Amino acid sequence: MIGTVNKPFEEVLESISDYERVGVIGCNGCAKVCKTGGEQAVDTMAEKLKGAGKDVVLKALPDRTCYVYKTHAALDPVKDEVAKAEALVILGCGGAVQITRKVTEDYGLVMPVKAALNSVGHMDTFIEGELAMEQCQECGDCMLNDTGGICPVTKCAKSLVNGPCGGSQNGKCEVDPNRDCAWVLIYNRLTALGELDRLRKRLLAKDWSLMARPRTLNIKEGRVE
Amino acid sequence: MKLTELFDKGEFVVSSEVGPVKGCVRDVGGEEPVCLKEARELKGKIHALNVTDNQSAVMRLGSLAASIKLKAEGHEPIFQMTCRDRNRIALQSDLLNACSLGIDNVLCLTGDHIALGDHKQAKAVFDIDSVQLLHIAKNMNEGKDMMGNELSQPTNLALGAVVNPNADPLDLQIFKMESKIAAGAQFFQTQAIYDPAVFEKFVKRVEGFGVPIQVGFVMLKSPAMAKFMNNNVSGISVPESLIEEMASVPKGGRKEKSVEITVRLLKEMAPMVQGIHFMPLGWSNLVPSVIEQLDLKN
Ligand code: SF4
Ligand code: SF4
Repeated sequence: MIGTVNKPFEEVLESISDYERVGVIGCNGCAKVCKTGGEQAVDTMAEKLKGAGKDVVLKALPDRTCYVYKTHAALDPVKDEVAKAEALVILGCGGAVQITRKVTEDYGLVMPVKAALNSVGHMDTFIEGELAMEQCQECGDCMLNDTGGICPVTKCAKSLVNGPCGGSQNGKCEVDPNRDCAWVLIYNRLTALGELDRLRKRLLAKDWSLMARPRTLNIKEGRVE
Repeated sequence: MKLTELFDKGEFVVSSEVGPVKGCVRDVGGEEPVCLKEARELKGKIHALNVTDNQSAVMRLGSLAASIKLKAEGHEPIFQMTCRDRNRIALQSDLLNACSLGIDNVLCLTGDHIALGDHKQAKAVFDIDSVQLLHIAKNMNEGKDMMGNELSQPTNLALGAVVNPNADPLDLQIFKMESKIAAGAQFFQTQAIYDPAVFEKFVKRVEGFGVPIQVGFVMLKSPAMAKFMNNNVSGISVPESLIEEMASVPKGGRKEKSVEITVRLLKEMAPMVQGIHFMPLGWSNLVPSVIEQLDLKN
């Protein structure tokens, strides 16, 4: 899922300071899991905006606001309300904001679509409702087969691919002593698996061009363009 | 002169370290910049001088500029390069710059993370790591850039690397050391170490590698400084007994005590390896006396 946190309400308010009639659109996917964009979050945001003197003309909750057809499915029936709003406030990730903008464009509308959340990475849930952690940044050449299923690109603060830096101490990372050094985790895991030899294979520098943005996925043909 | 030539001759190689200042070092009158002053205190007493690269991710005068300045003043600089602030294009270009400007030695490091420094909002680079930097530098010595393109004139640099004998798990550190050697490292400087028994264990594991090692040493300044290093400097561990020993003398006697401890520990550790690397952190003026007392010629 894409992790999200709330922007300060003042910042959201400032982004729509020129508009009175607003629509609030959440996301029932990742943002719901992060407790930032589900039904409750949409209601809370609508109330806060009303309290700040805004006229909330629409509330909507696509299943996944980053899927264009799901956002269409949620907004097509309330297209008129969308058109009545002067601006939309999105409780979803950066993708959700941009897909909603695209949907308004599909309707022939030129209106500001504003982000109420900050997106903080591809997250995986460790403790439901409590804790998620970044585990992958989609580097385009997955190394997990050689690193015991632990990602050095994401979990090592320096994305090192040839073992730990000099700052690894007592199994912890130099950047945050509360966090395990990814390379100690990898080493222990490979030792347990009897796969230590796999480490010796990797000397090459990573090909970051595979992460050159924006990447486009040709879904039909299964390739990145 | 390349450090590798000294090691090849069987010389016991002593180096020290200076950190470039936060500011320029152009001679405009006034006080001499600290890094140049410290270097002067070591002149003629050591073989080479490491010049740190924005150490601890704190922005300062660059290692290359400081190295060249020191070379012009008759020192033998070891140009430190980290992978934190430059991508592979800039790093390779700086290797060409260094060689073109007369630098003979380079120490390849990953670099401290930006989170430890004074520009925490910066974007960290870490395009490549220390192992790959060594590999690239070796290829450039052989006339090719990282992509295999021919260099009109190759670099000619002695390639150094670092290793931490305190590391736990040590196996992982040794694996990394082997990777560095395979990549092109020609000599090693260790992280500061205060426990000869730990050091001996490490040396036993790596002596078959056939690459010269300099034992690293940060002179203790006070009990508080030692505790600070234990808590904040990654990879360093000062035993409690040494902290107590430092605490046993009044403030005025600390320099003497520090020299005494340094000499005592290095007398044990230096014979195990091929050199010493001092990190005096401002106490460069004490290094000559330590060297004298070590009587390294024997
Ligand atoms: S190596 Fe890490 S960042 Fe790359 S795809 Fe695999 S998990 Fe993701
Ligand atoms: S301590 Fe470990 S996780 Fe942290 S930057 Fe160094 S190698 Fe990466």
